[in-house]
This record gives sequence, structure tokens and C-alpha cells, in this order.
Amino acid sequence: MSSHRLFRFPRPAWLNSANTRTFGVYTAGALFSLGFYLLIDCAVFSKSAMNPSDPPVHITFVDWIPGICSALGMLVINSIDKSRLSADSFSYSGNGVAWKARLVLFLGFALLAGGLAGSVVILVLKYVVPEYTWPTIWMGVGNVVANGLVMLSSAVLWVAQNMEDEYTYNLAL
Amino acid sequence: MAGLKTIIALSFVLAIGFLLVILSAALYHNYLTLLVVATYVIAPLPNWICGRAANPDDFMESSGSGVIDFGRFLTGFLVVMGIALPALLYHSAQILGGAMVMSIIGGLLIYGTIISFTLFFQEEQEF
Repeated sequence: MSSHRLFRFPRPAWLNSANTRTFGVYTAGALFSLGFYLLIDCAVFSKSAMNPSDPPVHITFVDWIPGICSALGMLVINSIDKSRLSADSFSYSGNGVAWKARLVLFLGFALLAGGLAGSVVILVLKYVVPEYTWPTIWMGVGNVVANGLVMLSSAVLWVAQNMEDEYTYNLAL
Repeated sequence: MAGLKTIIALSFVLAIGFLLVILSAALYHNYLTLLVVATYVIAPLPNWICGRAANPDDFMESSGSGVIDFGRFLTGFLVVMGIALPALLYHSAQILGGAMVMSIIGGLLIYGTIISFTLFFQEEQEF
């Protein structure tokens, strides 16, 4: 294992422990929750008495689309069994499973990145270009932060699940 | 051996937690903060259910750990929801700042009690 190492610094040993993996999954859930409630916060704020804009600016369905895309992308990415990504080297799993897995994974990442990009588009086109000031612009900024948090949560969950594979591999040896 | 003193202390903390949440609702005549109690009571449930659904014995199949991971994900979601919900309500001027602080602290006390209760009395089930 150590002779095949590419980088100078070895990977720290705590990265492979089961506790780190569990903590990673909890963290992913917490980050997703933060992102989700930021979206809800934007929507509730838009209807509340704290919204100072006059003519009133409200959250419409357009503001929800990036969040929906991000959540769908996260669902798609983390539904895939990671061991299928290299399944073509073992031919027991049928024709082109790895190819299909990579295609679905690409769709998931495209949805995730599209969600983040879409939220930035909404922030710029709906809130920055008409030159709204701080409490109103929160509805756009919160949207961007929420999508970024969903992306971060997805990354944490991905790393944590790959950690598990390494862990079981070490256990099997 | 976690004995009678632990139970008394835990129930004391639980009562303080419920007191804080109910006070945060009743003092300000706004009962939205009671949602925090519901959140923290539900929070340990996904781990229990998914722990039953998965088979911890097989090493080779990773199908069981997916269910466990989903339960942990939901638990993390619900725990942060208990903090995020009062903050959201405060930010939208539905509740006042005092109610937010009291309900967050009370909710954390309730959840801490549930978690430490399961931690203390888990060992008796071992073999």
C-alpha cells in the first residue's frame, strides 16, 4: 500500500476510522438542514413584516428552481453505488454498468452545479441589477448560500461514503 | 453503574428543558416555539428505525450501511432543524429574541437528556 503512494504526505490515519465516517454523515445531514432552512427562511422572510421593499419584492417559483435542482442532484449522486464506477473491470455485473453509472453521476453533478449557478443568476438578475439594498437582497444572497451548503453537504457525504469503502477494505485484508 | 442518581439528574435536566420551552411559548403568547419539542422528540427516531432495518452482521454487502447512513443523515438534519427553526422564526419577526434563545437552550437540554439516557442505559443489553 505505502509503496504505491503518489504524494509526499501520507493520508492521516484518522481519516479511515469508522468514527470519522459516522461524523461525516452527521455533518452532511446538518449542512443540508442548514441549506434547506436558509431557503425556507428566504421564503418566510419574503412574506413577513420584516420585508421592507416597497413595491414589494417576493419569492416566486423562480427562486425555488435552483434549490430543487441542487436537492435532486444530491439525491442522484448519493443514490449511486460507488463500487459500480469501476465495475467494467470485473465483468460479472453486466454490460456497461460503469458507463451508465458515470452518465447518471454526470447528470447529478450537472444538476448540482446548475443549481448553484442558477441561484447566482437569480441573485444578479432579480436583486443586484435593480439595485435593491440589504434587507431585500438577503432573499438572493440566502439562496446562493443555501445552494452552496447543499453542494458542500453532498461533497461531505461523498467523501464519507468513500471512506467507508477504504475502511471495509482494510477490514477484509 | 449508572443508577438512581443518574435518573434523577436526567429527569431534572429534562424538566428544566421543557420548562424553558414552555416558558418561551407562554411568556410571549406565541406557541410556535413548541415545534422545537416535537423536533427533538422525533430526532433520535431515524437512528433507531434504520438500525433495526439494517443487518449489521454482513461485511461484504454494503447495502445495509446505506440505510444506516440515511438514518444518521436524517438525525443530523433534525438536530440542526431544532436550532434553525427558532432562528428562522426570529428572523421573520414571528417570535421575539428572548423566545428564540430560551427555546434553543431548552431544546438542546431535552435532546441532550434523550441522548445521554440512551448512552447510559445501553450497556445492559450487551450479550
